[in-house]
Amino acid sequence: MIFTRFTDRSRKSVEAALEEARMLGHDSLGDEDLVLGILRVDEGLAAEALTSLGVTIEDAREESEEILSDALSSIGISLEEVRREAGDAFEMRIPAHRRIPFSPRAKKALVEARKEMRRLGDNYLGTEHVLLGILDNQDGTAVRMLARLGVAPETLEERLFELRGRAAG
Amino acid sequence: MDEKTRTRVGGPEDPREGLEAVVALRRTLEALEAAQVENAFIAGWSWARIAEVLGVSKQAVHKKHARRIRARYPGEPPRRKGRDQ
Repeated sequence: MIFTRFTDRSRKSVEAALEEARMLGHDSLGDEDLVLGILRVDEGLAAEALTSLGVTIEDAREESEEILSDALSSIGISLEEVRREAGDAFEMRIPAHRRIPFSPRAKKALVEARKEMRRLGDNYLGTEHVLLGILDNQDGTAVRMLARLGVAPETLEERLFELRGRAAG
Repeated sequence: MDEKTRTRVGGPEDPREGLEAVVALRRTLEALEAAQVENAFIAGWSWARIAEVLGVSKQAVHKKHARRIRARYPGEPPRRKGRDQ
């Protein structure tokens, strides 16, 4: 990952996203994990915007797990039953020695983040640019996760610019 | 009958849903394999015996699971109940 121009906060958020992905058993880092990373670090405009709209990291993690369990249900598999059968040893967490690559969506979100930075005429890549980059993909898991949490991308974007304006003024 | 045929032939209506189920299943399968290998290890099974039942080489099982399980049970390996066969 190239962190050129990333602020401390946005770099930390991306690193935290890896931890989130690992914990949830995501064998590649998805765009929803980037949102979780932002919430986990809880610094910067993106986290502030999300929090102000009532998104907590606990709810977001739960929603991400719910998306997986719904997908399994669609092919007739109950995650709960699998868990029960396998016993206490069952956990989704990915072992520490296994590398987790960035998913194409997560990569694209970070590319878009850089474009957002340029478009806004900024010389630093902050958490707000990362979040805008994520929201750029309406088809992504992050947008769906947020929608399930009752947050529309447009609302989030609006809040982000509101907070940005306030910070600048 | 109609219903059944359509399901078998067409699969889920939305390809995205079908593909996402694959991802969810892959992730769950990994977790399930890790758990069941660990369960067998705790039950005193050798790597060779675990590998045999999984239908893969002993090296493959060891490479994939030994480090994680060793980290989880540092020091003494769990008590082996009975001999490996």
